[in-house]
Amino acid sequence: MEELLEILQDIDDSVDYENETALIDDHILDSFGIITLISEIEEHFDIEVDAAEMTPENFNSAAAMWKMIQRLQEN
Amino acid sequence: MAIHTNLYLLVFLPLVLIIYQLAPKKARWGVLLAASYALYISFSKYLVLLLMATSAFTWGIGLWLDKIGAECKEKQAECTDRKQKSEVKKEFQKKRVLALRVGVLVLLGILFYVNYLNFVIDNMNILLGKLGTQLPLVKVMFPMGISFYTLEAVGYIADVYWERYPAEKHLGKLALFLSFFPQIMEGPIARYPDTSDALFAGEPLNMANLNEGFLRIIWGLFKKMVVSDRLSYLTTHLFGNYKDYHGSFIILAAIAYTIQLYLEFSGSIDIVIGSGKMFGVTLPENFNQPFSAQSAAEFWRRWHMSLGNWFKNYVFYPITVSPMVKNWNKTARKKYGKYWAMVGTSAMALFPVWVATGIWHGAGWKYLFYGMYYFVILLFGVAMEPIKEKNYAKMGLDPNVWWLKTLRILKTWVIIFTGELFFNAVNLKAGFHMFFSIFGNFHISSIWKYWPDAITTGDVWAICVGSVIVWIVGFLKEHGVDVRGKILNARTPYKWSVYYLIIFAILLFGAYGTGYQPVDLIYAGF
Repeated sequence: MEELLEILQDIDDSVDYENETALIDDHILDSFGIITLISEIEEHFDIEVDAAEMTPENFNSAAAMWKMIQRLQEN
Repeated sequence: MAIHTNLYLLVFLPLVLIIYQLAPKKARWGVLLAASYALYISFSKYLVLLLMATSAFTWGIGLWLDKIGAECKEKQAECTDRKQKSEVKKEFQKKRVLALRVGVLVLLGILFYVNYLNFVIDNMNILLGKLGTQLPLVKVMFPMGISFYTLEAVGYIADVYWERYPAEKHLGKLALFLSFFPQIMEGPIARYPDTSDALFAGEPLNMANLNEGFLRIIWGLFKKMVVSDRLSYLTTHLFGNYKDYHGSFIILAAIAYTIQLYLEFSGSIDIVIGSGKMFGVTLPENFNQPFSAQSAAEFWRRWHMSLGNWFKNYVFYPITVSPMVKNWNKTARKKYGKYWAMVGTSAMALFPVWVATGIWHGAGWKYLFYGMYYFVILLFGVAMEPIKEKNYAKMGLDPNVWWLKTLRILKTWVIIFTGELFFNAVNLKAGFHMFFSIFGNFHISSIWKYWPDAITTGDVWAICVGSVIVWIVGFLKEHGVDVRGKILNARTPYKWSVYYLIIFAILLFGAYGTGYQPVDLIYAGF
């Protein structure tokens, strides 16, 4: 989780990622931020994020992203 | 029977509401479906069969995808190890991809045939003309709403493929989602879970929904009839006779058309959302104060939101995470660094999105140019973002200070007005002619000197006062004050005073009757 928070801080350090739960719904993380984020998490966590995972529910909070990362690591 | 006509508002909608309420709960979805097909037949007659066939086809593809998924799970249950399971999944994945491709290609193929085939033939004939041969044009009837319901159908198939929700077993339920009468003409483009449950629930009408829907409908009519339809006379004249005008008139034409389009489209969507609300169906919003946007990217998050979301979900993201783009990204990050990899990936994902957004509006070079115009601006915005942040920090400026925000909003307005100038020009050549003529003979005073006689002082007053009222309501909403909510929660005499005020404003200042031509819905033509 720490590693994920560091990646997110690198993209935009003005956001409180530990408590924010509407990163996508409130457009805090935009489409271009998502592009960078996907590259980073695929590289750091050795996973493949495919189109089916691209839903607001998976990216609205750091906790949701972490859950998705763990699920993809298990598969 | 368009949704802004008396026939729809005073006869069709009340009649459907009454029949819906009188019908047994289980049959109410049937009332909505019958009403939807009746409204569709009033426009496109026997082409309702195409809408029905599209619904049945989409339903069938959904079931096919679900069946493959179920078979895959059954086979996987028989497997003893993970490797075997993975091989079974791969085998069935091929079948699922086939079902997805068949579904998407057939739906987009029909859309291509209806909207773009003659455009392609026309352009091929320009080339073939040099060889002395010509291809005949195809006689095509335009099925109303095809650009809207096709995107909803493709979105549904893609979501079922990605297993975001199971396929709908009930054909009628899916058919109603694709044809629901308020939204068939101009959207908003919904996703299946947005409306399906409410459409099928058959909940009885209630006063809260009826009030909310009614207020939304009369507000939409106010925007369209008092401001937009009056502006239509000015813009039709200026864009139609563009060679007679230059300088300040062209700027006026671009601004007037942008306001007209916004109030016409958002007004129509108010009528659509209001109609849906009366039946307890909450349709997705399409606008969110687009002129408060501080960048072109933000503008597109606030303007025609349902179309933008569709392209983001079904084109932008799938391309971003496609193996080809990911591989390029990985190589580029090592070779050129993170910044250029991000800009390159954005370009690869944005280009198809904006080609498609442009031509979705129609078959014409001006629409393609309109898409490419935003592609270049958005990509430039992406590339400049880190540089901009560094510059603000270097100059010790707070990017959120009010005058910088205002400057960014004004810059975005210039981008929007220029885009709409090309969008509404007779053709691309006319668009360039108009654009470059802004810079010749620019005299503000020529506006008064050559003002078209058909636009009276009364028209100008109605347009200005109406626009200011709409702007104030939008400004308050942007700052957290929900005017509509406050009216709905007010005591009955106050609430009805506002209703009467809006209705009288439409009756007294609306552009209808002698001297006015009814103005068709702009987006219903796309």
